[in-house]
Amino acid sequence: MLCVSLIVFGYFTIYSSSYLGYVQENSFWSHSYGKQMIWIIISVILGTLILLIEGNFIQNSSFIIYSFFLLLLIIVLFMPAIKGAKSWFQFGGFSIQPSEFAKLGCSLAFAKYLSLINVRTQNIKNRIIAASLVLIPALLIMIQPDPGTMLVFVGFVFVLYREGLSGNILLIGLFAVLIAVTGVFFKASASYVTIFGMAISGNLFFGFILLLGFTAAFFIIKYFVLPRYRREKFVRLAIVSVVGICITLSVSFVYDNMFKERHRNRFQIMFGIKEDRKGDGYNIYQALSAIGSGETFGKGYLKGTLSNDKFKHVPEQNTDFIFCVLAEEWGFLGCFMFILLYAAILIRMIMIAERQRSKFTRIYGYCITSILFFHFMINIGMVIGLAPVIGIPLPFFSKGGSAVLAFTLMISILLRLDAERKVVLR
Amino acid sequence: MDPYQNRRWVIILVIISISMIFSLRLLYIQVIDKEWSKRAEQISYIKENLQPPRGFIYDRNQELLVGAENVYDIYILPIKVKEKDSIVICDIFQISIEELREKIHLASTGYNVPYKSSVMFESLSKEEFAKIAPLLSMVEGVQGKSKTDRGYPLKTGAHLLGYIRRISQIQLDKFKTQGDLFYSKNDFIGITGIENVYEKELRGERGDANYLRDYAGNKVETIDKNPATPGKDIHTTIDARLQKLGEELMTNKIGSIVAIEPNTGEILCMVSSPTYDPSILTGKKFVESYTMLKSNDSLKPLINRPVYNDNYRPGSIFKLVQSLIALQTGVIQKNTSIVCNKTKIGCHHHEEPTSLMKAIKHSCNPYFLEVYKRLILSKRFDNYFEESRKGLQRWEEMVKTFGFGNPLGVDVPEEKGGFVPNVDFYDKWYGKKRWAFSTIYSNSIGEGEIGVSPIQMANLAAIIANKGYYYVPHLVKKIGRENRQNNFLLKHKTCVDSSHFQTVIDAMQLVVESGTGRSAQIDSISVCGKTGTVENKTFNDHSVFIAFAPKEDPKIAISVYVEYGTWGSKWAAPISSVMMEYYLKRKLSKNGTEKKNNIKEAIILHPNTDFTF
Repeated sequence: MLCVSLIVFGYFTIYSSSYLGYVQENSFWSHSYGKQMIWIIISVILGTLILLIEGNFIQNSSFIIYSFFLLLLIIVLFMPAIKGAKSWFQFGGFSIQPSEFAKLGCSLAFAKYLSLINVRTQNIKNRIIAASLVLIPALLIMIQPDPGTMLVFVGFVFVLYREGLSGNILLIGLFAVLIAVTGVFFKASASYVTIFGMAISGNLFFGFILLLGFTAAFFIIKYFVLPRYRREKFVRLAIVSVVGICITLSVSFVYDNMFKERHRNRFQIMFGIKEDRKGDGYNIYQALSAIGSGETFGKGYLKGTLSNDKFKHVPEQNTDFIFCVLAEEWGFLGCFMFILLYAAILIRMIMIAERQRSKFTRIYGYCITSILFFHFMINIGMVIGLAPVIGIPLPFFSKGGSAVLAFTLMISILLRLDAERKVVLR
Repeated sequence: MDPYQNRRWVIILVIISISMIFSLRLLYIQVIDKEWSKRAEQISYIKENLQPPRGFIYDRNQELLVGAENVYDIYILPIKVKEKDSIVICDIFQISIEELREKIHLASTGYNVPYKSSVMFESLSKEEFAKIAPLLSMVEGVQGKSKTDRGYPLKTGAHLLGYIRRISQIQLDKFKTQGDLFYSKNDFIGITGIENVYEKELRGERGDANYLRDYAGNKVETIDKNPATPGKDIHTTIDARLQKLGEELMTNKIGSIVAIEPNTGEILCMVSSPTYDPSILTGKKFVESYTMLKSNDSLKPLINRPVYNDNYRPGSIFKLVQSLIALQTGVIQKNTSIVCNKTKIGCHHHEEPTSLMKAIKHSCNPYFLEVYKRLILSKRFDNYFEESRKGLQRWEEMVKTFGFGNPLGVDVPEEKGGFVPNVDFYDKWYGKKRWAFSTIYSNSIGEGEIGVSPIQMANLAAIIANKGYYYVPHLVKKIGRENRQNNFLLKHKTCVDSSHFQTVIDAMQLVVESGTGRSAQIDSISVCGKTGTVENKTFNDHSVFIAFAPKEDPKIAISVYVEYGTWGSKWAAPISSVMMEYYLKRKLSKNGTEKKNNIKEAIILHPNTDFTF
């Protein structure tokens, strides 16, 4: 099974490179797809080397690796900015993005810390340390700024959940996000609701509905919950209500005062309130057109007319928007296969993680699974217009040496650790 | 046991549900909703109309009259223009920095976008462009692209060729309602002359092409292409050299020269004076030049006099028509003698007209008054008025067979037909039975109410040369590879038998040899001609001459009309002789050259003319 995964990944890699090979023409090595080939070769070599390293060695050097990449993240802030972000080290024709490797380092350290004998997820202090292991690099990346990569670190929530974080916290988080998004939606649509002849802004109305909901919940608790739990539930409800209302109001405040016009535009476009083909909505409009033009069976390999480098109707078509190329040339069937494959790999990785005796390996497996999943979710979601436009690569597809190398290393470390699963005692 | 191990299913569920949401969304975008696919087509396709190149126009000797000339448009690409280059650019085009800013602004707003180049200057000539081309390579964002405009290598024949200009909205709508969907905005269309009459042949057929374009609008790949069919070339009957000579001779004179090849009806030259250089009505100069030509009221240089000026009275050349009709009806014989009685009509001093030939030779007015009288009134009339009416009707019908009074059908737009006075006209003018021969006798010598266009005069010369018939004069011989058009192959016969022509022809020879037209003589060629002096009350009389040569086998028939030319023999006759000599010999003798130079230098204009030419 592992071999299958490996072959699938190999296929992915070749697949992706062949795409990139198509994207550019002329002399091979001087172009980006040539560079990508070099990166892939380096990745494969390093990945193979890692397969030869003892798993214990990797496990023991986790914190060292983590510290090393953290240091790089700090240094990179003093490098000259490229495209407005201080994310790259440049060496001649190649550039390295330490934030990609920070994900790997963070996964290792996170797994290592949580697998220490005396660490328990229920312990507040341990929780804080675990959280800060993730938050420090996330903050550093935020400063660069690179919100897309930063967002990926949110994926560690899944790992925490698997390791015993209360599901309620996840639900509350989801609830908060839902409220915020709805709030933004009402705000963006600038809708008004008329009640008793009074025009109330949509946002206030939403807050009002929330309040009603909470009141209803209060009565439900009062009459249906046993008295001894009531007190506890009331406290929780009160907190939730206050936070909910606060979020609604703060959304209103942030939207009006802190967002810039283009942010507002992006939200409005995402919710389909506004269509803007030329300005902020250009990327997504072009991407959706390219995807839509693939129809059921696609135009055929190398036969795209919108999303490749020759026509370039889709911007960033070999990095963040590479999915458009796939969608245009292979159509719905190809996309569906692709999504199935990706889901299968993610699930397969969870299976691998679950069959480990070593806690470290399991947590590590979950870490990289959630990283990959977040990449997948945000990238595809953005391209097909379900999420706001955030720059984030699609693992093993998008151009970018650091990402390919980092993901290959992540996977090969998992494979190495998995190979040792029978040796390690619980 | 790990208490949380079942939580893996929750995570797997999340992954599966996200994947399903994505799949459904993709299903919607790609398969169910066709809207995005259509939008993609809008984004990536570009349809282009392919303009056919307009046909060329050649003269009868395959010389190019209208061709294509390369001109250069200067394009500007705003995003590439650098601040430091702007002074250099200003220097190259001799404009101020504000003007440049304005141009850049124009090129970046409205329908124009900064990453696409748009026109900054239109239609620079080859010479102008050659001057600035090396400088242009030093700056970025400005470049020249060649295109073709109408070119006139010989700069001759402005009136007969006509000009083209951008189609107006009114014309566009008119064509649309007629179902002709060829034109679109900014297309050029022939307005006058051959450009107008043969517009359909010259314009060709439009093609179209579909391209795939890239994000910047550049054409990247051709999907299909339906090439344009170029317009057909027009081969005219014009002799460009003769035309050019005619224009030279007519400098600083008002009037026209028309020459026709009698046995085919082909027009050899059609000079209208004052004329203009046809190349000034092209490209960016058009509006300026057109306004200049249009505002020149007193000379009306845009008017094609040979076909539009049909109110010219023919003068004494009309005596030829009178003679022929009289001979045909038998009211006179060739040796009929009539006394030169100057009581009713003036005449100059000459020997007694003892025969028709002598009368023509000296252009005797009283002789033709009598002829006209005999034509209108039969010998024993009962009712003077009634007889005049009948006579005039008979006369009008006969005159019209010479191609007068109606448009000949020449292939020029809006040809005018002139006027032969008739019964209705005089009835309206004087009232019924209020007029008779005594009222209308000035028609006898080509004065009065008769109006004839110069091309009809030339046609008269051709009819006499042909002894009684004519082909409709025409400008075009061949369209593309097709030969002559059928309507120009039809022989039009006059009412006069060919036997009667010999007398008139002999008389015309006498006119040139020893009569009023001696100034039309050409060495070693026998010329037949007839002078005319048309009365003009405001200034000098107009000078008219028609002729054909050589007498034995006429190759050229010509009419010359010089306004204010005093009398027929003074200017019109020598001009004819120079034209004919050049056409028949392809060169001028010493005598001819001398004549030509004298004529060229003469300025014959009405004193009230504000002389701007």
